[in-house]
Amino acid sequence: MSQFFQATIYGLLQGGLLALIAAGFSLVWGVMNVVNLAHGAFVLVGAYLAWELSRVGVDPFLGMLVAALALFAAGYAIQRLLVNLVVNAPVFITLLLTFGLELLLVNGLILLFSADYRSIRTSYASRSLVLAGDVRVPVGRLLAFAVAIGITLALVALVRRTRTGLAIMATGMDRGAARLMGIRARHVYALTFGIGAAIAGAAGAMVGTVDTFSPADAGRFTLFSFVVAVLGGLGNMYGALLGGLVLGLVEAWGSQYLPGTLVNAVAFAVLVAVLIVRPSGLIGRAHYAARVEV
Amino acid sequence: MTSERGEAAAVPGLTRRADAGRDEVPDGGAARHGGKAPPSAASTRSPVTQRAWLPWAVGGLVLAACFGLQSQLYAGQERTVATVFMFVGLAQAWNLIGGYTGYACFGQVVFFGLGGYTTAALMAHAHVSFWLALPASGLLAAIWAALIGLPLLPLKGHYFAVATLGVAEGTREVVTNLPSLTGGGAGISIPTVGADATTGYLGNDGFYVLFLLLAAVSVLVVAIVSASKLGFALRAINQDEDAAASLGVHTTRTKVSVFALSGFLTGLLGAAYGFQQVTIFPARLFDVNFTVLMVIMVIIGGSGTVVGPVIGAAFLQFVSEYLRQHFTEAHPFILGAIVIVAVILLPQGVVSYAGSAWRNRDFSLLDNIRKYRL
Repeated sequence: MSQFFQATIYGLLQGGLLALIAAGFSLVWGVMNVVNLAHGAFVLVGAYLAWELSRVGVDPFLGMLVAALALFAAGYAIQRLLVNLVVNAPVFITLLLTFGLELLLVNGLILLFSADYRSIRTSYASRSLVLAGDVRVPVGRLLAFAVAIGITLALVALVRRTRTGLAIMATGMDRGAARLMGIRARHVYALTFGIGAAIAGAAGAMVGTVDTFSPADAGRFTLFSFVVAVLGGLGNMYGALLGGLVLGLVEAWGSQYLPGTLVNAVAFAVLVAVLIVRPSGLIGRAHYAARVEV
Repeated sequence: MTSERGEAAAVPGLTRRADAGRDEVPDGGAARHGGKAPPSAASTRSPVTQRAWLPWAVGGLVLAACFGLQSQLYAGQERTVATVFMFVGLAQAWNLIGGYTGYACFGQVVFFGLGGYTTAALMAHAHVSFWLALPASGLLAAIWAALIGLPLLPLKGHYFAVATLGVAEGTREVVTNLPSLTGGGAGISIPTVGADATTGYLGNDGFYVLFLLLAAVSVLVVAIVSASKLGFALRAINQDEDAAASLGVHTTRTKVSVFALSGFLTGLLGAAYGFQQVTIFPARLFDVNFTVLMVIMVIIGGSGTVVGPVIGAAFLQFVSEYLRQHFTEAHPFILGAIVIVAVILLPQGVVSYAGSAWRNRDFSLLDNIRKYRL
């Protein structure tokens, strides 16, 4: 029983981290209909920035802010200068453009930092709180979970309460109508992409604190973002959080009861099942799934 | 089903091609010129369609030239060129589902991996000859394609891409976790020498010919499909699926059968690749980069055309090989930059760009940016 409890705790914490990784991906997909295959590379850039800063004595939770700011600027520029050029082209084109970006970033990171595994060391992240029944809660993961919740709530507040957020939502629902209302779609798209990249950067700093990372992880992060975004559904800012928690729990329980690495297959089986039964995700808006993408 | 004329009418601009293509089988190039022919019965006798044998002659010449080239290459070059042939075949197979039908399959590698593993398992465990294992691999891949196509092909756009990607990753995990059949993550070896060998290793010369023939078969299949009624149904689905259905195209059946055909071709190439590698691993045979390369090759060359994927595969594979030899470390980095530039400047592919640029006498690449930017 305590083993099950431990797996549940671990699954929830891991789910929070997955949600943080996927939040920006889900936002960009929902608003712009762009699947950003370079998202995992953004996460890694954030991780390496925080790692470099931690080597000169900056705490990763402070480094997280720096990484987020730097990636916001980079994301804004990438959308404005590159992705906006092909945003009206067929699905493949944006997929390939962002894949080219991923190749560029990941191999740039390998050239700069080598392919070795790194991790950000802190005095507190590897400590654990011990609950009843010898159930352990790692402090680093708990903090990362809190950051994930905080960023999701901030995103909801941004989208619902500020003019910028409303402009983002409006552009996502109907770009033509939004432009007629005086919204600068190019700027809004770039802002959205920048916010997505910034959250990825923050997630990278968290990943570096609780786990090891190397440039080879980029594809894995993108794939998790995919699964989480689809699972939770697009068009709802809580979607990524819910999707991440569900995936984290399924994986944690699955690894208790399934042999070998079969648990990974379970994650994808869940993904395909959700797509077939409920393409709009658990709490997504049907509008986004039904959108015909040409 | 309505008549061929009615079906093609679902695709504005293709009506005339239907007339031109009824008797002859135009290749990509001929079909493109065929669009200029007047929309009447006389078009079958226009000077353009009389040259319908031209693409076949060019194709035959290229095939003969590839056979002739073999004697001029040393072993290492032979392997490189054989890999180019493999990618020509793979790109062509993806072209059927991604290019003609417009369904962005991002899990195509699953058929490649299944083909390789079927061959390896049959040859290592059941002691079957490679020449029997090869078609069996294609068939198994086709069956798997039909099985996953039925629930997945109703999905559109990114959702289909994600779902197929998920199936590919999931299948890889299942293959990894069946060690008694597949050797698990440690891989499986095909016996190629000694008493266990059911078919002797083909060597560089043999695999050159095998991949060349498989590539030729893929190009031939796509050329035939492209000119057939099925090809027009696929283009109709690509442009407007609802309109195609309303005009009598059985969309589900069409999509599933073309997906199975695409899986069959990919499975054949996977079988040959598995035999060539001798020892295969799930991480290599189900590598998502295979899928991405197929997609890039088709897009750069020209999706939904017969010659486009051939050009794209040859171009990308040679550039990649050149970079690998001259910039060992930075080669994927430069490749990323090339992909970005190619996608922005030539989103519709070399073949379509060349065709429209020739017709309009406008060779500016910036038009593409004007067309798709925000």
